[in-house]
Amino acid sequence: MNHYKFIAAMLCVPFFALSQEDDKKDYGKLSGGIESNSQYYVDDPKTGDFTEEDHFRSNNYLRLNYDYKSWFAHIQVESYEPNALLNLYPEFQGTGIGTFAVGYRNEKIEATLGHFYEQFGSGLILRSWEDRQLGINNSIRGANVKYRPTNTLEFSALYGRQRDGFSVSDGSIFGFNAEIGLSSLFNFETTGLDLGLSYVGRDEDLDIDNPNFESLTNSFSARLDFSEGNIYSSIEYIKKGEDVYAELGNIIDDRYFDGSAVLFNFGYAQSGLGIDATFRRMENMAFFSQRDQSANVFNQNFINFIPGLTKQHDYGLTNIYVYQSQPRLTFNPLFKSGEIGGQIDIFYNIKRGTTLGGKYGTKLAFNFATWSGLKGDFNVNDRTYEDTEFFGFGEKYFEEFSLDIKKKWSPKWSSIFSVVNTFYNARFVEDRIGEVNATAIVGEVTHKLGGGKSVRMELSHLFSDDQLSERAEDWAGGTIEFNLNPRISFFATDIYNYGNPDADRQIHYYTVGGSFTKGATRIGASYGRQRGGLVCVGGICRFVPENTGFTLNLSTSF
Amino acid sequence: MLKINLTPYLMKTLITLFLSLSFSTLFYAQEVMPKMQLETLSGKDISLQSISDNDQLVIVSLWATWCVPCKNELDAISEVYDDWTDETNVKLYAISVDDSRTVKRVKPLVSGKGWEFDILLDTNSDLKRQLNAPTIPLTLLVKNNKILYRHSGYTPGSEDELYEKILEFSK
Repeated sequence: MNHYKFIAAMLCVPFFALSQEDDKKDYGKLSGGIESNSQYYVDDPKTGDFTEEDHFRSNNYLRLNYDYKSWFAHIQVESYEPNALLNLYPEFQGTGIGTFAVGYRNEKIEATLGHFYEQFGSGLILRSWEDRQLGINNSIRGANVKYRPTNTLEFSALYGRQRDGFSVSDGSIFGFNAEIGLSSLFNFETTGLDLGLSYVGRDEDLDIDNPNFESLTNSFSARLDFSEGNIYSSIEYIKKGEDVYAELGNIIDDRYFDGSAVLFNFGYAQSGLGIDATFRRMENMAFFSQRDQSANVFNQNFINFIPGLTKQHDYGLTNIYVYQSQPRLTFNPLFKSGEIGGQIDIFYNIKRGTTLGGKYGTKLAFNFATWSGLKGDFNVNDRTYEDTEFFGFGEKYFEEFSLDIKKKWSPKWSSIFSVVNTFYNARFVEDRIGEVNATAIVGEVTHKLGGGKSVRMELSHLFSDDQLSERAEDWAGGTIEFNLNPRISFFATDIYNYGNPDADRQIHYYTVGGSFTKGATRIGASYGRQRGGLVCVGGICRFVPENTGFTLNLSTSF
Repeated sequence: MLKINLTPYLMKTLITLFLSLSFSTLFYAQEVMPKMQLETLSGKDISLQSISDNDQLVIVSLWATWCVPCKNELDAISEVYDDWTDETNVKLYAISVDDSRTVKRVKPLVSGKGWEFDILLDTNSDLKRQLNAPTIPLTLLVKNNKILYRHSGYTPGSEDELYEKILEFSK
């Protein structure tokens, strides 16, 4: 099928939909959006030639939504032509219909046929979502029905198969979810209490004779959310039933393990002070819609959402050592059965008019996160293990302290100071070698020039004892950004691995570019050299090889 | 070296884009807020349509705890919010698109910063998707469910331009 004709046909729909508007008849509402991210990769005299096919690569998305009374429909056409951006999931290739759906929605009932995005509770048992930068779209193609008999009750049921490139993965997914507002049912006046219950099953028949093998894997979740005054808390427990073990993508048909997760959160919030603490323990919790995808490095086919729970940092040098969650059970190359740990955030506003607060107040944000492996006795040859201590902390994978201080000095001047101290166990997090201790210091100043003009400057330094060749030891970085008005901006940024003992690896990773924004349209263009490593969005990371080139990003909506 | 070869693919892509862009300008820009229920920080559902009815002028800002420009924008508005509401009766709904990884940070961050506007949650980006907003911050002015103004991104001082629009639409 000629996809371009199809796109053109879709684009004509609004004429039929809106051409009769003078008659005041309701022909529904069409809206949509376009996003295009392209790169032209060039040979780099310093880091080497571009050796892949297709110097020009482009990811394009056209989404159309149509709403008529309570009915809705959408279609998303995706085009990766002539090829997708470097190291995206290889099934994203060519042009095709990525997602489509039709449905009906009112206050009590919502029904969707086609692709849908859904999340049960925190997503620890099921979440389907999209992130175009990471190349993730695991929407479920099937049917999803929600029923809300009252304001305090919601029941949903879904069935389908998960999107995999332009196709779907092998396993079928069944899900049921109930959200019950207990505080309303019991007429609590000030206390909030909500109960959530979920079931998710994945059915994938494999050609395995072992009597222990079941094609269907069941998982159950129970959650309780509580709030009273300034305090809130939530707890969730998940049990994932026994399933055949897969190692590096191969099914080991005589080994069966179950999994579990505990998530606990506690917080306190009053004006000027907020505290939030999270604890999570996961054991063998990677849950895939297709079992032989269990070793994929593209974050595909995940049924549940198990991101690394650490602070997301804002600067180039604070994003070199990013923790990735370790939910899996593996015996090879290292024994790991999951992770245990937590984080605490404290937000504090030093009041204006005090010594430290100054005329405009000072805002502090502190984070501490620590993650370790689980304690267990294991036998790598037999591929067996035993928990020795349920809440025991094993090998330390990651630990980090960070503090941001944000201060406004005058109507025209403001600054941010940030320090991040990280322990990063590359052996366990990346299955490589080495442990890293690193401290990053960042200072940022913004100066308003009036008439919408402003300048932002940032300087950073990373002290590191890392010995891995491509990022060894110390780094320095800087950014300058000039905003001509709210619509036009220019920037130049550089991070420099000047401390690398290998002089050939002392590389500047620089980017210069600009952007133009008007209404719903944004155009960004840049040229630069990108550091090879993990690109992380929201605790999920994608590996991107080192590359140099031009980038063009366009987006608009209508 | 830099020899740019406009492959047929590039041309096709660009033609499709330009066609789409030009088509899109031929009919009305998206004017209406989607029908949707969003959760408040206390866990109650609120209808997105209800927040701007009865001629209430509303600023809708899509933001996240990990988005620095978003927080800068909301900090800047927070400083002048009392004046804005006194003078124009405008109301700000800051809708967080934090997913479950960071959504627990929303409440303490809002308290810590002392923001006094309403906060809503869009935890699986349903609204963000319906508004076709690939990037945040996204700032809208809405009245009677009609989107009157749309701007994405934040640079220091943009709030002044936003206030001019608020003055224009609050009349």
